[in-house]
Amino acid sequence: MSTSILAFVLAVSAAQLDDGFQTRVIQEAYDRYTPAMCLVTYTAEITNPTSGETTKRDNSSLGLIVSAGGLVMAPGHMQLENSEPFNISVAVGQGDEEKKYAARLLKKPDDVNVCFIQLQTDDGVSFPYVRFTPGVPLHVGDPILLIGILSETMDFSRGIVTTRVTAVLEKPRPTYPIEGAIRYGFVSGPVVDCEGRAIGVVGFDLTSSEGGDLYVRSGHPLVYQANLFQKYIDNPPVETSEPGGEEAWLGIFTQPLNDDFAEYWGLEKRGGLIISSIVTGSPAEAAGLQPGDIITQFDGTPIRAKLDREVIGFTKLVRESEIGKPVNIKVLRDQQPMEFQITLMTRPKSARDAGEYVDEVLGVTVRELTTDVRLLLNLSEDVQGVIVRRVKSGSVANLARMRPGIIIMNLGDHPVASIDEFKAAIEQISADKPDEISAFCRAGAATGFFRLEPRWEDNAGK
Amino acid sequence: MFYYGQFIGLLYVDAGHVGLAQKEVSPLRRQLVLAAVAALVAGCATLVAGCATLPAIQTGASQSLVLRAKDRVAPALVHVRPVKEVFQRGKREEVSVVGSGFIIAPDGKNGGRYVVTNEHVAGESKFVRCVLFNKEEADATVVGIDPYTDIAVLKFDGEQGKLPYVTLGSSAKLKPGQVVLAMGSPHGLARSVSMGIISVTDRYLEDRGEEMVSPFNTWIQTDAAINPGNSGGPLVNLRGEVIGINARILAGAENVGFAIPIDIAREVIDKIIKEGRVSRSWLGETLQPTRAKTDDPAQKGVVVADVDPLSPGYEAGLRPGDVMLAIDGAPTDARYEEDLPAVRKRIADIPVGTRVTVSVLRGGKEIEVPVTTIERSLLKGNQVEFSEWGFTAVDLTATMVRRAQLPSKKGILVTGSQNGGIAANARLHSGDIILSVDKIEIADLVAFQALYKTVVEAQKPLVMLQVKRGALTRFVLVKQGEENGPQPDTASLESEGGSANVN
Repeated sequence: MSTSILAFVLAVSAAQLDDGFQTRVIQEAYDRYTPAMCLVTYTAEITNPTSGETTKRDNSSLGLIVSAGGLVMAPGHMQLENSEPFNISVAVGQGDEEKKYAARLLKKPDDVNVCFIQLQTDDGVSFPYVRFTPGVPLHVGDPILLIGILSETMDFSRGIVTTRVTAVLEKPRPTYPIEGAIRYGFVSGPVVDCEGRAIGVVGFDLTSSEGGDLYVRSGHPLVYQANLFQKYIDNPPVETSEPGGEEAWLGIFTQPLNDDFAEYWGLEKRGGLIISSIVTGSPAEAAGLQPGDIITQFDGTPIRAKLDREVIGFTKLVRESEIGKPVNIKVLRDQQPMEFQITLMTRPKSARDAGEYVDEVLGVTVRELTTDVRLLLNLSEDVQGVIVRRVKSGSVANLARMRPGIIIMNLGDHPVASIDEFKAAIEQISADKPDEISAFCRAGAATGFFRLEPRWEDNAGK
Repeated sequence: MFYYGQFIGLLYVDAGHVGLAQKEVSPLRRQLVLAAVAALVAGCATLVAGCATLPAIQTGASQSLVLRAKDRVAPALVHVRPVKEVFQRGKREEVSVVGSGFIIAPDGKNGGRYVVTNEHVAGESKFVRCVLFNKEEADATVVGIDPYTDIAVLKFDGEQGKLPYVTLGSSAKLKPGQVVLAMGSPHGLARSVSMGIISVTDRYLEDRGEEMVSPFNTWIQTDAAINPGNSGGPLVNLRGEVIGINARILAGAENVGFAIPIDIAREVIDKIIKEGRVSRSWLGETLQPTRAKTDDPAQKGVVVADVDPLSPGYEAGLRPGDVMLAIDGAPTDARYEEDLPAVRKRIADIPVGTRVTVSVLRGGKEIEVPVTTIERSLLKGNQVEFSEWGFTAVDLTATMVRRAQLPSKKGILVTGSQNGGIAANARLHSGDIILSVDKIEIADLVAFQALYKTVVEAQKPLVMLQVKRGALTRFVLVKQGEENGPQPDTASLESEGGSANVN
């Protein structure tokens, strides 16, 4: 009697394990992948997009070594449009075996929200790393194992969570949300299937306010399948300081042509992209595209966006087009079909890639005005200057009550439309040593003057 | 607007209803207040120590002076309780607020009985309940307001018989250190009197492009206790004459209150009684003291910091960087910021539509620019609730047009939308500027009201708006008859993230 009850109990637990992970698989996966997991600590410099003021904050997150040469993949939220990490240090190994490495940030991929970091090592060091199996299909309910790090109070110990694929979303690319609340220490950690294969990592998409455009599944933990990032492991991105690959640019903002808009305009064919805004100085403007035009075809590819996230395909199409070669764009204007041959330009530099200059005479750090900042601050093309990013405390500029976010257009009689002109103006001023300089600036929509009184003796002493 | 000085966080001093109170202690403003306090502490340690002294005047012969002054004004003191129209979260609401005021001498012509208070107390109200010093109640209506100086004039309804009134003094020759009394209803406590001295006679409060501007006057700063609810009450000298109207306090500070000088107020009160409003001339200029460009005392005039592109000054060729030396030969000197309000007032006082000659210094040469002034735009535009769609909107003022960098003054600004309403479902939100309705350009609020009425009455299922926000425009499709649940994916990919969606 008693033996049969025991047998019954065993049978039940075996059945549960069949449907999930066998302890052996978990243990093996843990042993295999945790040596490649590391703790990334860094300081993030966060810029307030409107004022340009910056704050610094220390942070840490999980990193995953993905090559023997020390390429580390980390959560994409480490590096945002307005938040730049520096002082990056990576602790590999645990306890007594922990070893710290300095690291360089590489250029962030723009189609998946992960960051890449290269460990700086003496030559010859070979790191344990995670080898992914790309292309493993996932289904609703598939059990998955996540490996991550616990919090500081738990000594950043490695830990596991088993969960399941909650849903499978097909468009715009296959997306696999996972169950439950995921701790931050598990983001960028390996996702392991029942057979113990590392099939991807845990990721979070960016929200639009974080600068996300390609990622529209924000706010929910996802499985980033290895297919999304394997190419970056095979060919690591360049360093952030180097300019990235050039992308094509049309210069429009769009809205999907949803059914309501189609109904409003009495259009039978559903789907398309409504041009909502046109950027000044863009190829779209030069070609005569207008807000309200509906794009139906781009270089032979029909455009059928009905939902926000379907805009992505178009964005990608534009970016990957050839620069300098005319593309054919078909639009509907007032229900009438029209065709445009438009030569795409190189996408203008964004603020993140813009040049900065730290000036010691006035105590300001200035940055060139990029197209994205012009749009953000609603500046027309006739505003030519450099934007103040930082004002050194106690400096000449600080005393004159300059503040971040102000655009300097003239220093005395010198126009300063670029960093080079700014440098030249400072050089000239340093040679002339005037008692005061009147800086013509712009704050918001209005202009005005700041009187700067350089302290020449101070500088001579330096 | 352009400001380059330290932040000063100011509070209106009407005691009040929760909505306004909440508005006034918004996190932003609290920050500004903190910044201001930090700046003051860092800049001037004596300011911190200064508030503990008690005037010796409270004893002996001085006591009778204070009593006499108080007795001369107190009977004319009014506890003002307007029912104000406020627009919040896409709705028009009425709220009761509390402030102070005082009765002035009857108008010689019509014998009307008037009460003076602040615009921020009685503006946007159709009905004002007044409680007199003898605790009797009397209702009043608003005769006129002037938001630029924060002054409102009320007139008692019906026959009031004999009423006490105050004597208006002069603010021209005030001296710091002079003893003053502040009277009114701090925190709604009627008939209160407090005493202090004038701290500064010509405090300049920067025009920061917000509601609390007073571009045409400097302020009397006093340490007499002023609290929310004192707004509109008199600041009185020891002769019992009203020398100022209490209107602001520095939030977070102790005993730093500000009153509108009575000489400025008197002109405005007279104009409101005679004409119902105050009109001012405008050239489109923003001015800075010459100090902003050079410390050279030989530099006369005032610096033109900015010229509105949609202004007569701009059309006539005035440009930022010009130094304005004179208007019609009369000098316009402002070496310090405290000199600016007088110069601005000089321009404002020119009769609207007058052709004047502005002498400016440009590139070392003096040139003359003839320009015809136009009337300065209202500080606040008319606001209306559109209840069917569940949103509120306001007429654009020149400042808004400048800030949004619109090519013309056409359009209306959305000030709020109700959750779950038709407008909110179409993702129309506060800060959006509506440029057109079904491709028809909107000139102003009146034009929009007419179009809106047509589409609402016709129950047109879909109405398309073109909307501007920041540098970008977008199309908004309003679905009438759908009040519940937001429409998915209507638009607004571009509303955030700046460059993110540049294709």
